[in-house]
Amino acid sequence: MTSEPVAMTPPSPVPYHSRIDVIGGATIIFIAGLIWYGAIELTVGQMANFASGALPKAISIILFAAGGWVFLHGLMQRGEEAERFEFAFRPTATVVLAIVLFGLFIRGGDFGLISTPQLGLMVVGPLTVFIAGSATPQMQVRQLLILSFGLTAAMLLLFPDLLRAPIPVFPKFIQGAIPPSFGIDAAVRVLYAAYAALAAALYVVFYRMAETQRD
Amino acid sequence: MTDLAHHLLLGFSVVLSVENLMLCLIGCLVGTLIGVLPGIGPLATIAILMPLTYNSEPAGAIIMLAGIYYGSQYGGSTTAILVNMPGESSSVVTALDGHAMARQGKAGKALGIAAIGSFIAGTFATLVLAGIAIPLSKLALSLTAGNYFALMVLGLTLAIVVGGGSLLKAFCALLIGVVMALVGADQITGEPRLTFGTQVLYDGFDIAVVAMGLFGIAEILRNLETPESRPFVGDVVGGLLPNKQDMKASAGAIARGSILGSLVGIVPGNGATLSSFASYALEKRVARHPEEFGKGAIQGVAGPESANNAAAQTTFVPLLTLGLPSTATMALIGGAMTLHGVVPGPQLIQMHPDLFWGVVTSMWLGNLMLVVINLPLIGIWVRLLKVPYHLLFPAIVLICCIGIYSVNSRPTDILMVAAFGAIGYLFYKLKFEPAPLLLGLVLGGMLEDSLHRGLILSRGNLWGFLADPMTLVLLLISVIVVVSALSPSISRRRHVLAEEG
Repeated sequence: MTSEPVAMTPPSPVPYHSRIDVIGGATIIFIAGLIWYGAIELTVGQMANFASGALPKAISIILFAAGGWVFLHGLMQRGEEAERFEFAFRPTATVVLAIVLFGLFIRGGDFGLISTPQLGLMVVGPLTVFIAGSATPQMQVRQLLILSFGLTAAMLLLFPDLLRAPIPVFPKFIQGAIPPSFGIDAAVRVLYAAYAALAAALYVVFYRMAETQRD
Repeated sequence: MTDLAHHLLLGFSVVLSVENLMLCLIGCLVGTLIGVLPGIGPLATIAILMPLTYNSEPAGAIIMLAGIYYGSQYGGSTTAILVNMPGESSSVVTALDGHAMARQGKAGKALGIAAIGSFIAGTFATLVLAGIAIPLSKLALSLTAGNYFALMVLGLTLAIVVGGGSLLKAFCALLIGVVMALVGADQITGEPRLTFGTQVLYDGFDIAVVAMGLFGIAEILRNLETPESRPFVGDVVGGLLPNKQDMKASAGAIARGSILGSLVGIVPGNGATLSSFASYALEKRVARHPEEFGKGAIQGVAGPESANNAAAQTTFVPLLTLGLPSTATMALIGGAMTLHGVVPGPQLIQMHPDLFWGVVTSMWLGNLMLVVINLPLIGIWVRLLKVPYHLLFPAIVLICCIGIYSVNSRPTDILMVAAFGAIGYLFYKLKFEPAPLLLGLVLGGMLEDSLHRGLILSRGNLWGFLADPMTLVLLLISVIVVVSALSPSISRRRHVLAEEG
């Protein structure tokens, strides 16, 4: 979003293990190996009527060669010319964690290694916004709290209410406790109205009242 | 001619329903919004909003997605002119003269001519699309499996070559996409392929899931690593309507931009971006005072803006007539069609005339909406430009999660979005373009199928396969395109385009 300032000092040589092309080439070779491993039991067939293994195995070989070329290019570059691999780990891990938690707890289920309960949008909505939002240092906790409840209220209005999207809203135990005479739809409306009111109240407490006190 | 009028009438009868009009309007407004806001591209937005269209009719869904696409080309110019920050890569050259005009107090005039040029070009491109669609799809119906395979190879080659960045890396990404298309149950035998014994992969990769991760989430991760900068946003100065003299000065540029953009858009690759660069170069060459370019020449805004809008429209031609998406965005729109049970390709016009002509006429109507609605809304867009990104992206993350879950109600889809988000970001850091991967994913199945059928027909004789003149010519052109892209001068230009885009 912003242009990087031009470095005036001569670039320092990039070691082999940090070079973009070395890591990129190795990644492609790894993927080629993975495809070969996945296709190992598939038959190739004849040219006139090739079988399901033909294309994956052929592509695996081509990818191996192409990845090898990129890898060698990375190794043979002059240290000063090579580009350094930099990966913003913290924001990536934070955003990915937020999405993974959403996936694990929205409906719950058996995910091989772990089984999770259904928490619904009521819990995972604010949680996702709060965790994802903390990926950037610019965000303050007060902003995050307002945003978490405000955005979840907006999404509850948009998806389950207006668009009728089939998405679990409440944790299982709350869902079971809602009286049928009241109905899930009414409960959803009460929930987003409450979250919107909470976000508005937090905004008033954190910002408006603070301003008034300052005055 | 009467046929064309009849078809356009059918199109208008589809698009003028209340629901479709609303969807067209929403598409145009959302498109303009994301075009205006730097840091969110049309590809990511379409990926994110695709699930929202699942409940509507196929025609309405495509009308909205198309609106997002050309609306974003339009909105990008607003940011380019006002704050010298192109919201879209196709608006990079608009910033040169558009912002210079804004600094001279003529921002309103620049925005006005961009809008008028876009509308005229959009109208022209819609007619081009309507005029060539039927002949092209008839031609496509006569193609053999071998021809089709060669055509796909040529399309993919052009898309990679025009895309910028390392050719070899783009090729790797494309191949990975093709393999991903093969994952899941074999189309003929049903035996699991490349599933590694998991049930999740048996259904293959869902294009919406992959696109949302690779483009939606990865784009957020890319934006988060750079420090947020608040653009300085000035007020719109001057009247919005260009006077007679401005119109006279821009008429030629708009006409040339419309024709150039319509032609470039049909060729696979990033048509909108490429056409705006080409139009700028052309205008500078034919101008009486080329020295004025870069200092606020109105032709420097009118030409590229017309060209990129025309190209955004005609990019639909290969998808709708041949079934071959020429850009990643078109691949997504093609994917959305398939999810609605509409197969893009030569039979689309015959099988779903209402959808085809509805989408075509919606483009013209959408362009009209963009002009009528957006010029008065510039004040709101300018205010939205001031919303900081750190307040915007958590909303995008939440919409992605809810959107993708509501499609299939599968929590594993969300976990895959997270995985593809991280992979997309890793690819970006390793300088592998993710767009060819998406094209490979969409076309991989068709590619294997047409190669398979072609080889069966030629009884496995590779020479018999290649002996068909059209197949041979198309494959030879692909080879020439790759070889010429490797030549030093063109390679240099590709890198310049990649950096500017």
